[in-house]
Amino acid sequence: MKKALFLVLAFALVVLSACGNDTPSKETKNKETKETTESKEVNLYTARHYDVDDQLYKKFEEETGIKVNVIKGEADELLERIKREGDATEADLFLTADAGRLYRAKEDGLLQAVSSDVLDEQVPANFQDKDQMWYGLTKRARVIVYNKETVKPEDLSTYEALTEDQWKGRVLIRGSENVYNQSLLASFIEINGEEKAKEWAAGLVSNFARDPEGGDRDQAKAIAAGVGDVAIMNTYYFGQMLNSEDPEEVKVAKGLGIFFPNQDTSGTHVNVSGAGVVKAAKNKDNAVKLLEFLSSPESQGTFAEANYEYPVNESVEPTELLKSWGEFKEQDIPLSVLGDNNAKSILIFNEVGWK
Amino acid sequence: MQRRLANVNMWTVSAAIIMILLFLPNLTIVTGIFSPANENWAHMKEFVLGSFIKTSLILISTTALLTIFIGLSLAWLIAQYQFPLRKFLKWALILPLSIPPFIGAYTYHGIVNYTGVIQTTLRDRFEMNLNPSFFDIMNLPGAIFIYTMFLYPYVYTITRIFLSQQSASLIESARMLGKGPWRTFFQVVIPISRVSIIGGASLVVLEVLNDYGVVKYFGIQTFTTAIFQTWFGLGDIESSIKLAASLMGFVILILMIEKLLRGRRQYSYSTTKVRPLPLIELKGWKAITATGYGLLILSLGFFIPIIQLIDWMFLTLGTIPMGEFLTYVKNSVTVAGISAFAIIVFALIVGNFSRLVHGKVAKLLPKLTILGYSIPGAVIAVAVVTAFIALDRFLAPLYQMLGVGTTLVLSVSLTMLISAYIIRFFAIGYNSIESGYDKIGTDFRDASRLLGVGLTKTFFKVDVPMLKGAIISGYILVFIDILKEIPLTLILRPFNFDTLSTKAFQYASDEKIMEASQASLLIVGISALAIVIFYKFLEKEPD
Repeated sequence: MKKALFLVLAFALVVLSACGNDTPSKETKNKETKETTESKEVNLYTARHYDVDDQLYKKFEEETGIKVNVIKGEADELLERIKREGDATEADLFLTADAGRLYRAKEDGLLQAVSSDVLDEQVPANFQDKDQMWYGLTKRARVIVYNKETVKPEDLSTYEALTEDQWKGRVLIRGSENVYNQSLLASFIEINGEEKAKEWAAGLVSNFARDPEGGDRDQAKAIAAGVGDVAIMNTYYFGQMLNSEDPEEVKVAKGLGIFFPNQDTSGTHVNVSGAGVVKAAKNKDNAVKLLEFLSSPESQGTFAEANYEYPVNESVEPTELLKSWGEFKEQDIPLSVLGDNNAKSILIFNEVGWK
Repeated sequence: MQRRLANVNMWTVSAAIIMILLFLPNLTIVTGIFSPANENWAHMKEFVLGSFIKTSLILISTTALLTIFIGLSLAWLIAQYQFPLRKFLKWALILPLSIPPFIGAYTYHGIVNYTGVIQTTLRDRFEMNLNPSFFDIMNLPGAIFIYTMFLYPYVYTITRIFLSQQSASLIESARMLGKGPWRTFFQVVIPISRVSIIGGASLVVLEVLNDYGVVKYFGIQTFTTAIFQTWFGLGDIESSIKLAASLMGFVILILMIEKLLRGRRQYSYSTTKVRPLPLIELKGWKAITATGYGLLILSLGFFIPIIQLIDWMFLTLGTIPMGEFLTYVKNSVTVAGISAFAIIVFALIVGNFSRLVHGKVAKLLPKLTILGYSIPGAVIAVAVVTAFIALDRFLAPLYQMLGVGTTLVLSVSLTMLISAYIIRFFAIGYNSIESGYDKIGTDFRDASRLLGVGLTKTFFKVDVPMLKGAIISGYILVFIDILKEIPLTLILRPFNFDTLSTKAFQYASDEKIMEASQASLLIVGISALAIVIFYKFLEKEPD
């Protein structure tokens, strides 16, 4: 019995020493560099979880000698952490995959304006915050995919048309807790007004093929399974399915057509990944450098290729796959409204019973 | 006399300090209940709260009942009977705990959905296209299934240890008095193991209440959904904390009812020798049924998802960077190992305190420390960040004296994460230890004290050896829980610190469940190793 306790202790000790050798020494190393050469690192809080991001950070480090320290988390939680850390925060740059969150960061006074000719050249004005508090880095469109066998592209026109009776029991979309849906509705609030947006949400709910469940990919699969005929999903998920390691997923994606709605009206809904320099940043210059690097032509290619997103930098061509989907008209609204209207869209979702 | 008093003081004081530290971050949440209700709160109440609460109640009550049924029946079989594969099942039945429920949910959905192995096989081999809703698990019953299959080990582990070590004399008496197995089960086993059953089931309930991954993916709206909707969607963290505080209030109520139900009756060791129960050998179809039942549960909770994950691992091998995986393993094991050790030490101290003091309020105090387990990790994280930043600011003059250039020191180190784990998972360790203390009662300690042995010496010489099983099971449960933990690890980690669970989450949250398989399998592998080491080599049975 003593042996048992001893073993528990020993295990804990082994574990402790295993880390004791390493983690603290790494920390002290960090601190040393911080003290001696203040400007040789940049601290990033990011809500993007893609492997390609890490590769880009490494490349940035190789090119500039500036080390990128990263904490990956969920956008809202990271924002709350920055907020609570206040002036003392270690964060220099906040990166997230939704314009609404960038807006919220700005509204909460967590970001600062940065001006840079390089950024102005690389990021088009409509993908920048008007006060230059944040910059878009990649774009994704929220489109309609359809069953090639039961739906002709001529049948499709706009998001709004999906509320018509002919689509009763045929529309698939994920739940309202998802930020992409919140931003979609937020854009309609801006374009069509709150009343119309609410009518749209209610109309779509009454055309649902089933209660919302799963993620974007699951909507595409539900089309293949015959649950519904059209689904609203993000472009990059469709790209991922076409290139999946699972041949069954590829088969599903190949049976689907992609349609960019509202081409004759308000344009297809687009959202961005973007980043802003934190107000209390201690390595502001490095943060700007990282922003410039991520929006540079060579990084933009990597961003887009690996994750089937559209580059914001207009000098960079999208990949072959994205080009094959054709060019399309985007919603012409300031992206900050996605954040501004976010709460309103939640209330609407709850009121119309969009789960 | 004086020495004894000093001892008592040392124990009570340290227990008090631990409890205060554990409870302090929760305080910021509890006070949230008094914040004024705003229009968001009114909106939630008008449109959604009612149905969310109903769903949550169905979810927790059904899951609790099912986990009790499965956990207790398995514990009873293993503790009482001998049948083929018993020794293997005894420890293997804990394995489902090593699979994070959200990974389990993604995996099961991956198996049964349109592109999954079942439908694909039916389609391609047998040309059968069944109604897709038949395979839909993304609903309330599906979520109940997921939680039951991956959480029943809480009930199983805690009750099995109780039954096999403590209840021998009572059950033997029942047998000798001619009671059949069923009557023994219902009239003796259930009443005497009530504490462990409720202890295990309350862990299940708390885990279901605080989980967000499964219900979010399945599109089920629960009370947790409301917490996150107000925070993330409406950007109103005050209302969200108010909701979390209400949830805590509900949990306090449940805990008090449990204490009342537990009542006056105590079942503790009556002999000095803690004997295991002599096993009854099952033969023929009875033995087959027992083995089959154990294997069925183990397959549903472990083998089936694991086989799918292994399949995905081979599919995606080489497509994701694996170079850093050794570091992730080391990070995971380190934080889980340290935190679990600290939790068990703290739980022993607080548990001992709970035994020493008299009075209902004092007895309830330790229970309050488990409150942190009832609300979503993300909310706890906010409370912990707030507490640590306050601490850092308080210590700032000291940092300056030491020549540290920054204000945030503790809150950007692993200290914050480990403390958060301790706050969150104390409930798991404490429940194990408490049921251990309950079991040994106070007679032996009193005897030892009467013989003039000091309190501390008594603790090490008398209590700890008798608590061995509880310590081991508590350590393992906590260790595994931390290994697979998500929201806290994600938000509270220092820079450049990845663990297996953050890696698995990174892929899964991006709908790349196949890519998440490598990290998930490593979590499972390490957990399984821990279980094997402790159970196979340490818990030797005389049989």
